[in-house]
Order: sequence, then structure tokens, then C-alpha cells
Amino acid sequence: MTQLALNKNAGVRRSTLSVVLKALLYVVLIALALFTLIPFVWMISASLKLDREVFSYPIRWIPETFHWENYSLIWSKVPLITYFKNTATIALLVTFIQTLTSSFAAYAFAKLRFRGRNTLFICYVATIAVPWQTYMLPQFILMRSMGLYDTLWAIVVLQSFSAFGVFLMRQFYQGIPTELCEAARIDGLSEYGIWARIMLPLSKAAIATLVIFTFVGTWNDYMGPMIYLTRDVNKTIQVGLQRFIQENSSDYHLIMAVSVCSLLPVSVVFLALQKYFIQGIATTGLKG
Amino acid sequence: MKKALALILAVLMLLTAASFAVAEEGQTLTVVAWDAETTPYLKAEKEAFEATHPGVTIEYIDVASQDYATKTGTMLGGGDTSDVFMVKEITDMLNWQAAGYEEPLNSYIEASGYDLSGFAGIESNYAVDGEQYALPFRSDFWVLFYNKDLFDAAGVEYPTNDMTWEQYAELAKKMTSDGVYGTHYHTWLSAVVNWDVCDGVNTLIDGNYDDLAYFYELYQDLEDAGACQSYNDLKAAGLHYSAAFENGNVAMLPMGYWFVSTMIGAIKDGTCSFNWGIVSVPHKEDVAAGSSFGNLTGAMINAKSEHKDLAWEYISWLAGEEGSIATATTGTRPAWVSEAVASTMASADGFPTDDASKAALVPVYVGIEIPASEHSSEISTVLNEEHSLIMTREYSIEEGIAEMNERVAEILG
Amino acid sequence: MAQTDNRLLKRRKTRYERKKELVAYSFIAPNFIGFAVFTLLPVLFSIFLSFVKWKGGAFSTMEWVGLGNYAEIFKTAKVAEKGLGYLFTKVDLGIALKNTLFYTLITVPLTLICAVALALALNRAVKGAVGFRTVFFFPYVASMVAICVCWRFMMMKDGPINQLIMAVGINYNKSWTADSAMAIWSIILVSVWRNMGYYMVIYLAALQGVPQDLYEAATMDGANKWQQFCHVTLPQLSPTTFFASTMLIISCFKIYDVVKIMTEGGPGRATKMLVTYIYDEAFSNFNYGIASAIAMVLLVIVLIFTLIQFSMEDKYANN
Repeated sequence: MTQLALNKNAGVRRSTLSVVLKALLYVVLIALALFTLIPFVWMISASLKLDREVFSYPIRWIPETFHWENYSLIWSKVPLITYFKNTATIALLVTFIQTLTSSFAAYAFAKLRFRGRNTLFICYVATIAVPWQTYMLPQFILMRSMGLYDTLWAIVVLQSFSAFGVFLMRQFYQGIPTELCEAARIDGLSEYGIWARIMLPLSKAAIATLVIFTFVGTWNDYMGPMIYLTRDVNKTIQVGLQRFIQENSSDYHLIMAVSVCSLLPVSVVFLALQKYFIQGIATTGLKG
Repeated sequence: MKKALALILAVLMLLTAASFAVAEEGQTLTVVAWDAETTPYLKAEKEAFEATHPGVTIEYIDVASQDYATKTGTMLGGGDTSDVFMVKEITDMLNWQAAGYEEPLNSYIEASGYDLSGFAGIESNYAVDGEQYALPFRSDFWVLFYNKDLFDAAGVEYPTNDMTWEQYAELAKKMTSDGVYGTHYHTWLSAVVNWDVCDGVNTLIDGNYDDLAYFYELYQDLEDAGACQSYNDLKAAGLHYSAAFENGNVAMLPMGYWFVSTMIGAIKDGTCSFNWGIVSVPHKEDVAAGSSFGNLTGAMINAKSEHKDLAWEYISWLAGEEGSIATATTGTRPAWVSEAVASTMASADGFPTDDASKAALVPVYVGIEIPASEHSSEISTVLNEEHSLIMTREYSIEEGIAEMNERVAEILG
Repeated sequence: MAQTDNRLLKRRKTRYERKKELVAYSFIAPNFIGFAVFTLLPVLFSIFLSFVKWKGGAFSTMEWVGLGNYAEIFKTAKVAEKGLGYLFTKVDLGIALKNTLFYTLITVPLTLICAVALALALNRAVKGAVGFRTVFFFPYVASMVAICVCWRFMMMKDGPINQLIMAVGINYNKSWTADSAMAIWSIILVSVWRNMGYYMVIYLAALQGVPQDLYEAATMDGANKWQQFCHVTLPQLSPTTFFASTMLIISCFKIYDVVKIMTEGGPGRATKMLVTYIYDEAFSNFNYGIASAIAMVLLVIVLIFTLIQFSMEDKYANN
């Protein structure tokens, strides 16, 4: 009896403690979330103000009147549709090529044995460490001689074969037990079959990671398009944004409106994929 | 799901095919310039040239001004064949010349009997060992802009073409009141201390910067008095000087002549609506009134161009009298100054009509902002770094200048 | 007879092996060909560039200088005379190196700690976990240009951040980006803010892969929450940590855009980083040789870090 009562007491104490802890957790999380969102809130609020209100003191987070017309104004000021179309084309192509070829190559690096494997892999890793600025010029000379300058293909080939994708996929594949592949081999599957039927389905999470990473990286890339794309019909959203900032340097409300627009597509991709991102991993039992 | 994927892919291919179509070429001259979309004089020049040269089209390749050095450097380094490149900084021109990107011009000048006298000698800044590599078509010197309405409202006399820096500082403080700043300094080194080269003796590459202290002290005194917005705030907000002046709460602004065309445009499209004028920048006691400093803008022919003769026709026209008149109509100051050009400048639509503004069009001396030398770009990096330390008050003026002297001495070897 | 059999077997095996190798190469080829042409080749070329003097233009204008570029960036003559202190206080390379190392050594652990903490918190049955996850990840998808402008404004003298810390009782009212001591912290703050969500999601995925029975076993052994965290969670997360820290270190060493927009390397040289230095040399001064030499210094440092991590990973895997 006494034993039981004691236990019950302890249970009550424990649950109050855990309620307090949980409440604390929420407070901290919400505070952090607010902190994280501050710049976005400022951005959106600035995009709905008049330009002289943007930097007024003290800060007014909610605009006095909402100037939605800022958003219609920017469409007439910059060819946003062209920019969006170009950026989407590049980002989709790059993401597709990058994911396909790097998961292909990563399978070989993680699960197959061949001469020169380590040397090749070190080549990949080493180039991740080299900042692009240093080999930009030789790369540019090469691209020009291949006739890719000022075409969207320049950015596509530039981004599609980055070493990062191979590196990431290999790390993930390494976490998948080799026994799985061996069992499949005994069952008579070819290596291509193993890649398609075993590795790919198991690496949904990794692929989602890579897709988000590549898509976001390509979408937000500034230097590449700035160097390689010259004519207006070829420009991407980031170059367009920078140009807009230069030409309207004091129109912070409009700059922020364009920024908000440039943000939307990437957010959609993330929201659409994040389900796979988490679930995919939970089902594979993948550790890496 | 698979059908959707196939559809997406199909759409993608179509988009791709459409985006990759190449534009057709005619009798076209490609000219690489910065902010081509928004610069009024480039538009005026293009129209005037195409009108007098039927069948020729000028196509600008627009590069954002902040990326101009990076992008043009890569283009030229990569063997780009655009015909003409605008020269933004003299140091760029030297680098390009050293790398062999620029077509030497002496043979063209001789063959066409081109008369360089209209440049009054400033074209020599674009010459290396007696060979001309580019022609200047803009020469901007610094003037003092002021907001006439603010002076009228305060009942204070307008600035004049003959003011010392002390008189200017006094005026700035007098004009400062609630919500109005007496003057405005953009964050650049040139806006604060480049006045030092107005005397025709000092340069910013000679390795001795002790004289800059005078201008830093002048600035800090004004900043402390609240007569100008603080450097730190301007930096953090990234405020553009045009926005600052157009806001209408700044009484004076020392700025390059190019701002005249910006102001004319701003008044025209209704961005701002006050009366303004220009006068010569202030001077030190021992320097002649009307002395200033400035910078050149030019055009060069790409050594890899496939239309060199047409390109020569273009740049010689651009820098010569006709092109200069086209340039001057927009309120921009050409490098070639003849009587016809001067009267075009003064009668540019929207240019202030008072006599002082007209008189300010003719400086008595224009020093070069940073003259070209082997070390110009390295020195200017050092000066800008130390400038930011002094302006943020991390360093005292003495400390900053001592470090400028020391570091530049090291570069000069 | 038995010998022939053996030889036959061997020959068949080699053919089999060769076929297997060919299959492996066919996996690598699509990516490797693109990689070799567009990345590896230019990188090798830039290694070569670090030994020449070149202003761009025709290849014939290159001048072989051997280690000359390295001697120039390290200012070897001066340093030999004045000691190592001179390198890190006066020489551009030393200052950039010091700043980059400081930035990396603070940012990497800070980001990882924040990421793990957030992942742990959200891995519990928290209401609105998806919402929180999205919020924390969001900075990662935003474009730097817009966001950095925004942060710079918020860190102004009377900006919201200073108002906040004044409210907590800390007396600080300078513009962060104009203060040599704080400028680098403003960059660290923005970097952590931007990256923690991304790594949080990676950790979250890893956490869900930790087998539940390990916790049950640990509870049976009487381990409390903290002990469970130290002895079960952390070791299970270490492959992720290896991956995350490698990627983070590399990206920290290559920091460029945040610095460019927030501080432009200033005030003075307070936030001059290796890549901003490379950029200046390559595109303001057109010293491609010097720029490549600095890049090689960067490459060597990053390679050392990566190799250390790989060897640690191997050790861990063997255990």
C-alpha cells in the first residue's frame, strides 16, 4: 500500500515537473522561432510600406496602411516572368542531372571495388575545398571555347557535376548495409538492378536532401549567372534582384517586395519535399 | 505520378529549347557598359549615332556597375569578342592594356587625321608609352550641389563659387536644424578627403597622407555637430547619396558632376520637386577657388573585335564633338569641351539657370582622383580599409594616417 | 590437371573482375566526365597558375615565377626579419587566415550545437513540430542578398537587435558592422542563423534512425536521460556529425557572400577573409597568380581538416 502511494506521489511530482519542462521547451522554441523569423517579418513588413517608412524610428512592424500596390508595381519594373522562367529551367535541369548522375556515381564509390577508387574520390573531395573564384577564369575560357557563354547551358553544366552531390550520396550509401547488396547479387540482380531497386528506394531521404540543396543552391546562385549570362533574356532571378537593387537603391520597399517574390518558389519546393525528407529516413533505418 | 513527371519533363524541354534560341545578328556593334538601362546619356548617344549612321545598331551589354570590373575582366580574359568596352577606372584600363586586350589607337588616329586638341591634354591618361589605348568621352569633376528651397526657407545666402572649407563648415552648421542636415558626405574615401589633390601637388599615390588629417578633422567636427548623417548609419542602411539628397532634407552635397543628370531626371519624373543649384567645391586658403578633382570615363576597342573599323568610327565619334554634344544634352559632362559643347551643357533641359551654376561648369583645375600607376589598385585597397577605420572612429585620425603611410610605403617598396 | 584448373579459374576470375570494374566505371562515368571537364581541369589549371605571374589575356604573357607568388603573399622576407607576429598582425594573408580560422572555429561548433539541440527538442512529441521545423529551416532557402541587407539594418546603432540587448541590460549601442570587435560576430550570427536549420533537419533524420531498443536497454540498465544522451544518442549521431562538420568547415573556409554584403571585409581588415582576399587580388588587381596561390593555401588547410576527419571516421568505423 505505502509502496504504491509513494510511487503514485512520485508519479505526480514527475508529471508536474515534465509539464513545467515542456512549457519551458515551448517558450524557448517559440522565442527562437520568432528570432529566426525577424528578418522575414521585417522584409514582408517593409515590402508593404512606403519607401520613407521603411527606416523610420521606432520600428513599426505592422505598416500603417498596407501598400499591396508595391507588388503590382514591381511586375512592370522588371521582367520577373523571364527571370523566373530562366531560373526554374536551370534549377530543374541541374537538380535532375545532379541527382541522377551523383547517385549513380556514389553507388560505385560506396559499394563497388575498382582500381583508382580512392584517388578519384580524393579528387572529388579536394575540389569541394577550392573556392570557385580561383578557377572561374580557366573555366570561363573553356566554356567560351565550347560556345556555352551566354546560354543557360553554361550554368547547367557548371552546377550539375559539382562534387558535393557525389560526396553527400556516398556518405548516405555507406550507411546502407553491404549485406543487402550481396543478398541481391545472389538473387541474380545486376549492379544496375541493385542501384535501381534497392539503393534508390532506400535513399529517398538522401535524394530529398540533395534535391533541396541543389535546387536552393542553383536558385540562389548569383556569381555564376552574373558571369555567364549577359543578355536580358537569359538573366536569372538573383541577377535580376541585384540589378533591381542597383537601379532602385533607395526603394527598399520595392527591393523587399522583389525579394519576397524570389523566395516563394524555393519555399514551395521545401514544403513539398520535407515530408519525404523526414519520413524517408525513418523508414530506411538509415543512420548517416 | 509518372505521367505528371513525363509532362513536367516535356514542358521543361520546350522551355529549354525556347530559352536557348540565339538572337540574329545584323550590322551590330556591341558595346559593354554599366547600368546601360538607366543611364540617360548612353541612350542619347545611341540614338544620335544610329541617326547619323544608318544601318548600324548599337547593342549595349548591360553590366551592373558594382560587378563591372569582375565581369569585364572575366569576359576579356576569356576572349570575348564584344567590340567596344567602356573604361570605368583608369586602373582597369592599365590592367587591360598590360594583358593585351586593347587595340592600340595611334594608327587609327593618324589614318583618320583625328584631332585630339579638344581633350586639352587629359587623353594622355589613357596613353602608355606614347600609344593611345582609349579615348575619354566623359570627364566628371566634383561640384557642390545644394537645395535652394532649404536655403530660402532658412533665409540663408546660397553657397558661392569661392568658399573656403571653413566657410563651408560654418554654413553647414548654420543650415542644420531639426530634421535638416547641413551637408551630406557619401561613405567613399573620395567624398571625404580626395580634396587634398585639388592643389595640383598632392596625389593619393605618393605615399604621404599627413595632409588628409585636415579633411578628416573637418568631417568629424561636422559629424559631431550633427550637421551630417553619421557614417555608421549610412553604411548600415546602405543609403545611396541620390536618395539622401532627393529626400529634400539635405542642404548641401559634394558629389561628382554625373549627379547633375540624375537630378535632372529625378525632377522630370517627379521623384523630387525642389530647386537646386551647383557651385564649385570649397577650397583651402592656399588653393585657387574653382579647383576640383575628377575622373575620366572612356571607351576602348577590344583587340579581339571583328569590326574594328566600325568600332573606331564609333569611339572617335563618341569622344569627338558630335558625340560630346549628344552626351551633354543629358547634363553629363563630356571630356571634349568646345564652345558648342559648353553651351549645350549650360542649356541642357533642366540644368539650373542661375549664373553661379553656369560658372561652376568651368573649373580652373581638375586633379585626377587616383592617377594610374602600377600600384594604384593596391594602394586604393589600403586607403579604403584605413578610411573605414577612421570613419567608424575605430582609429584616431593620427593612427589611421600613420598606418596609411606605413602600409603604402610597403607597397611602394 | 589440377594446375590447369587453377589457372583457368584465375583467368576466368580476372575476366570476371575486369567486367566488374567496367561496370563500376560505367556508374562513375556520367558524372565524372562532366566533373573532370568543368571542374577538375580548371582546378588543375589554377594549381599551375599559382606558380606563374599572369594578368589574364594571352597565355603567352605568363611568366614562370616558381614559388615567387607564395613568397609574396607570406611576405617571407619581412616575416623572417620581424617574426611570426608580424605575419598575423600586418600581412594581408596572415590577417585573412586568422579571421577565417576564428570565424570557422566559432561558427562550426555553434551551428552544430544549435542544430542538435533543436533536433532533440523537435524529435519529441512536440505540438506543431512541422511548423517549427519549417521556420528553422527557412533561413536556409532565403537568398543572401536580401537577407544580409536586412540583418545589416537590424544591427544598426538604434536597430532592433541593440534595442533587444539593451532591454536585457547590456549596454551596447554601436552599429555592429562598424565595430571591429563585433563585425565578425555579426557574420557569425548570420551564418549560424542561416545554417542551423539545415543541419537540424539532417540531425532530425538521423535521430529517427536511432533504434528504439537501444534506449529501452539503457533504461533497463538504469541510465537517466543525460546518460542516455551521452551513451546512446551521441554515438549514434556521430556519422552525421562527421558529415555535417566536414561540410560546415569547408563552407566556413569559403565564406564570401555574407562578408561582402554585411561588412565588405571591414572595418579596416577586421573581417577580411581568405576568399574576399582572393577575390580582390583576382578582380581588382588582376593578379591571377597571387589569387591562385592564396587559393592553394586555403586548399591545403581544408584538406588537412578533411583528412583528420576522415581518419577519425575510419577509426570510429573500425571500433
